[in-house]
Amino acid sequence: MKLLSCPLNGPRNIEEFQYLGPLRGRPDPDALSDADWARHLFRAENRPGAMLEWWRHRPSNYVFLAERHTVTNAVIRTFDPSELEPGA
Amino acid sequence: MQATQTCPFFPGGAAEDVAPLLGQRDDLSVSDRSHWPRFGLKGPGSADWLSDAGVALPAPNRLSLSSGFTVLRLGPNDITLLGDPAAPEALTALCARWEAAPGPKGFSSWREEAWAWLHLDGRALEDALARLCAVDLRPRRFVPEAIAQTRFAEVDAVVIRRGGAAEVFFDIAASAAVLRTIRHGGGHP
Repeated sequence: MKLLSCPLNGPRNIEEFQYLGPLRGRPDPDALSDADWARHLFRAENRPGAMLEWWRHRPSNYVFLAERHTVTNAVIRTFDPSELEPGA
Repeated sequence: MQATQTCPFFPGGAAEDVAPLLGQRDDLSVSDRSHWPRFGLKGPGSADWLSDAGVALPAPNRLSLSSGFTVLRLGPNDITLLGDPAAPEALTALCARWEAAPGPKGFSSWREEAWAWLHLDGRALEDALARLCAVDLRPRRFVPEAIAQTRFAEVDAVVIRRGGAAEVFFDIAASAAVLRTIRHGGGHP
């Protein structure tokens, strides 16, 4: 059984969670070229290394952030979105 | 806040054919409380409104007893109040006050219609809980004010313990499946 540690509910079976995708910036569409805006909308970043990702604990409908290494699949930390540093 | 008139295990309900599995078995009794009064609020303003109304709120993922009902704090702004059918006055009065309030006051999460509510008790309870849920629900590990929001009987559920018994809340549409799973010993008969 793979466990993920939910900031609200503690360690739980990974099957209780839903992956919601990487944390992404929110650029101003008016300040970007069409090509860069299209890239933001339609291209998924898939770089190796530690990434911040949105996850949801389904039974409690709690959405939080996890830092996960995409090569080793190790979860480095999980935390509430209120703890996110500005500009992260 | 009004309880639904026809719950799944009632005559004419969607899970009527499974209802005989409820029964009172010596080792594990399962009783349906889906018609018991409860009231859920969710969304911005719900915790502040309840605090202003005099409801003492516990920390998220904790429950407490307030004046006349049990308060489940499922999240910072996700709160469900459990009433007692023998003395529903306090909860009824609070609901009426919420309906009349101008807001911000959160929104109703319709727990009285969307949730089934089962009460489990008996000699075989601890063994059954261990097979139905991955969270350690034994009283020495699961403190009285704890709430488990997890998987139970193969559905997403909220589990609490009161007076030695366990109470489970889950999607009311899964009533028949959950009762079958409970009676078949954790889904692995």
